[in-house]
Amino acid sequence: MVNLTIDGRAIQAKKGCTILDAAREHGIYIPTLCYHQALKPIGACRICVVEVKPGPPRPLPACATYVAEGQEVVTSSPKLDAIRLELMKLVLINHALDCPICDKGGECELQDLTHALGVSVVDLEAVKLPPHKDYVSELIERHPDRCVTCGRCVRICRDRVGALAINFTLRGYFTELASGGLPLDCEFCGSCIDICPVGALINKVFKYRARAWEVTRTEMVCPFCGGGCSYELWTKNDRPLRVVNYDTALLCGRGRFGFPVVESPDRLKTPLIRENGGFREASWDEALDQVAAKFKEITEAAGSAAIYGVGSPRATNEANYLFQKFFRTGLGTHQLDNPGRYTYVQALKGLAAVFGFPQVSGVEKVAKPPLPFHSPLTTTEEAKASGFPLVLGKLKDLPKADVALVVGADVTPELPPLGWALNTALERDTFHLVVANNRKTKFDRRAHLSLRYKPGSERLLIAGIIKSLLTAQPEWAPTVIAGGFDEFKENINKVNLKDVAKKTGVPEALIKETAARLAQAQAPAIIFGSELMGQDKGLENTLALADLFLLVGRPGAPGSALYPVAEKNNTRGVCEVGVMPEFLPGFVPLEGAEPGPTLPEMLDLLEKGDPKAPQALYLLGGDLLRQLPNRSRVEKLLKKVPFMVVQDAFLTDTAKLAQVILPVAVHAEQEGTFISTDGSLGLLPRALPVNGVRPDWQIISQIGSKMGFAMSYASPKQIFAELALGMPRWAGMAPKNGGAAFTAEVTGQFVPFETDISLPGRRPFTLLVGKSLQHSGSFTTHEPCGTLTITNRARLGLNPADAQNLGLAEGDFAKVTSSQGEISVPVTLTPELPEGLVFLPEHFSQPAAQRLTLNSNLVRVTIQKG
Amino acid sequence: MIIPLLKGLATTLKACFSKPITLQYPEVKRPVAPRFRGHPELVINDDGDRRCVACTLCMVVCPSNAIRGIEAAEGENHEKYPVAFTIDLTRCIFCGFCQEACPKAAIKLNNLYELAQYDKSRLILDIDKATQEKSQLRMADWL
Ligand code: SF4
Ligand code: SF4
Ligand code: SF4
Ligand code: SF4
Ligand code: SF4
Ligand code: FES
Repeated sequence: MVNLTIDGRAIQAKKGCTILDAAREHGIYIPTLCYHQALKPIGACRICVVEVKPGPPRPLPACATYVAEGQEVVTSSPKLDAIRLELMKLVLINHALDCPICDKGGECELQDLTHALGVSVVDLEAVKLPPHKDYVSELIERHPDRCVTCGRCVRICRDRVGALAINFTLRGYFTELASGGLPLDCEFCGSCIDICPVGALINKVFKYRARAWEVTRTEMVCPFCGGGCSYELWTKNDRPLRVVNYDTALLCGRGRFGFPVVESPDRLKTPLIRENGGFREASWDEALDQVAAKFKEITEAAGSAAIYGVGSPRATNEANYLFQKFFRTGLGTHQLDNPGRYTYVQALKGLAAVFGFPQVSGVEKVAKPPLPFHSPLTTTEEAKASGFPLVLGKLKDLPKADVALVVGADVTPELPPLGWALNTALERDTFHLVVANNRKTKFDRRAHLSLRYKPGSERLLIAGIIKSLLTAQPEWAPTVIAGGFDEFKENINKVNLKDVAKKTGVPEALIKETAARLAQAQAPAIIFGSELMGQDKGLENTLALADLFLLVGRPGAPGSALYPVAEKNNTRGVCEVGVMPEFLPGFVPLEGAEPGPTLPEMLDLLEKGDPKAPQALYLLGGDLLRQLPNRSRVEKLLKKVPFMVVQDAFLTDTAKLAQVILPVAVHAEQEGTFISTDGSLGLLPRALPVNGVRPDWQIISQIGSKMGFAMSYASPKQIFAELALGMPRWAGMAPKNGGAAFTAEVTGQFVPFETDISLPGRRPFTLLVGKSLQHSGSFTTHEPCGTLTITNRARLGLNPADAQNLGLAEGDFAKVTSSQGEISVPVTLTPELPEGLVFLPEHFSQPAAQRLTLNSNLVRVTIQKG
Repeated sequence: MIIPLLKGLATTLKACFSKPITLQYPEVKRPVAPRFRGHPELVINDDGDRRCVACTLCMVVCPSNAIRGIEAAEGENHEKYPVAFTIDLTRCIFCGFCQEACPKAAIKLNNLYELAQYDKSRLILDIDKATQEKSQLRMADWL
């Protein structure tokens, strides 16, 4: 602690904080303009000047001056006031004064400063600058005549987002924000809009729709990926108008501009029942009665195991919990799974095999009834936990790691907050970033080592890294207490580094250097994405990474952890609350009963016409046809199911196969919680009317009640209380928080993994089906989602050299054929892709990328013009 | 006894031959001072466009919630203009705050003061009814 006085008041401040921080903490007002709490101060505007003694004989910027012992700070004096007034006049000299039509009006920092500093006239004159307004760019409008050149937008874009899309040109009075020509070509995250103190950057989705003081603001978690960002949703007259993050200003494009999808005309409004080959609208009572009656009929005829459920990584924890309760308690079966099985669950299973299942002790009930959406459990002093969830990292700790190995993840499209965390980490010189991918991704530019491997060869590459580590340091002992090392070592010894280099395409020297970096690391982090988990051998890939972590990971060091990307808003939650046949809520392995088939096994049963194949499917949303590999097969198999109920907000291709479709509430139309990729709880309060649709939990509870199960609940709060009571690892969990810290006992067991990396087929190209930056599953592909203006359809990414050989130019249609099917899609030239690799986003229904895939996100294809 | 009577008669006679003070309202309307604060109305430019830019400041300042439902739209040249605007004369207290708050001199209190209607809803003006017909304030003599 440092002792100083501000305006004569004795104050204690933390060492290393600025005068501004100290003043704000003690409620002392110092005007600022270029400062923002989410950015490093640059001291550009000098509005925050204060007099500091002892110090230089001139005023210093409070935002960029650190506190020192015995400092005497004066924040207001005639001299300082005169300086500030003069600076304000200079700022206002060429200002547009568009307040009546400026969307920032009412929450504009310049307006507030003008008031606070009492600027009444600007008695300075200067040449008028031409207002180079930008009305042509998508989503973001620029008004340089309102800019105060604070540089906040430039800094957030460069330091946090890492897009480097905007910067200043010219100097002095002529300084202007520029982006290297029009229209703007950037990631369209819109973070610059929220960080701009004035109205120089305008959100086009919101433009002119309301004034800042007219809206109702509700803080909630974003439903567009597993990042768990929280933002304020602005509503007026029950319509969503805008989302804003005042805290860090960071959101991604789909988070910031995706919300209008809630008002999509494609939304289902009433239940639909199949009749004479088509659908007819039905009342809720009729539809629910029919579902309950049909379910009863099927269970009576074929047993309760004849109903199979598929949970949803979009739905809330409460809905998913109730869904598994419907099966496990209501029907008494374990016939359910979630579509994460093809990606994230593979990773969890791999991690569980290496680090064990979670064990928690030392948890007790809280004395007072907990607040809504707070865990009713708390940790005692001897609270302990073990198992794989402990090695799953938290995004806020990631910047504390000293080496990050990113494998099989195009970080920003998969999980933008991971990218922000990496950018923060990269501000430290001691941080090393190793990016391994089959193509050039955004972070290659900033990586200290870039490894370019052949598609699908991740686990062999990891084997190579482990081998070279153990060869360089034969005495190396795993940094995590783990069994089975000797056996594992023997297995690894069989790996030939030359062979690895040849098969993966990564030079031996790079593999060795990566190994050396990891061996030196004091807090290594391993990040991997659905690109790697979504392969048929996703489990083996994860095993390889988990083994590597046993070898070099330091779970005690903050930031040193594994970071698998949970792709959707509740991919992690749907697993945590037990929508998997083999795990009860809290990843408790099912014992004493036979787990039902997994989703792929269930499809196999249907294919075989097995008597155990389900007679009825209950899908909690999610367009399986669009998500699961081998669409034609999935379509054929789903058609075999006699009775299918789909709860969804849209009439998806999967829903079109259903007998009953129940329209559900999405986004802020419902209350509930999500678990983000790093395990923290995101709270979704209700801010919009439901307009005839119902939230998932209500529908499940109503069907359950009609079937005679004790499943009536008054609200998601009640469900959460019940759910959290059974989840000791959630002790201390509260909104925006990941629960109490446990004394961790990370131990593991080396598990050998397969290193065969052959990809079946002989077609010349490898297709990777992956994620686009602007979309989240299929949710964002409906008009009027804002990001559709940036990426409105699927395009096949193709290396320019390949394109030239094929005679294809940008925008030409290509016919892509695999062993499974054929689609036609326009191409886009993508130099980031190596020759031989093509990329197709998975989000769109037309053309359906999954028509080509077999059992993995990689497939061999031929490409022709046409 | 007679004197007061004559006095009275004289007064009556005087009044008979002088200009009457009583106005034959409603046939004759009382003229008001130029700065009289009557009904608020939306001002138009010579080209017939409303001056209002839908900033809603008048709505904010109005002490009696007489102004509501201002909806903005974006014009061809990115200008902001109102597509909906309601002035509720049954609530207005003719304080003139809106006129004072308006940064565009787009709302003014005219010289109209009549508020008697059989149907109250006629006093709730939508954007068209609230807009003046000529680019001049409506004066009492237009009635
Ligand atoms: S930026 Fe602020 S001061 Fe400038 S026109 Fe907009 S609201 Fe007014
Ligand atoms: S656009 Fe906004 S954030 Fe960027 S420099 Fe100008 S005023 Fe600052
Ligand atoms: S990163 Fe994810 S959670 Fe955050 S705003 Fe974007 S979509 Fe939403
Ligand atoms: S005159 Fe006063 S009460 Fe009437 S609309 Fe204007 S501000 Fe409101
Ligand atoms: S204050 Fe003037 S410009 Fe603003 S909404 Fe009212 S009438 Fe229109
Ligand atoms: S806020 Fe300190 S210099 Fe701008």
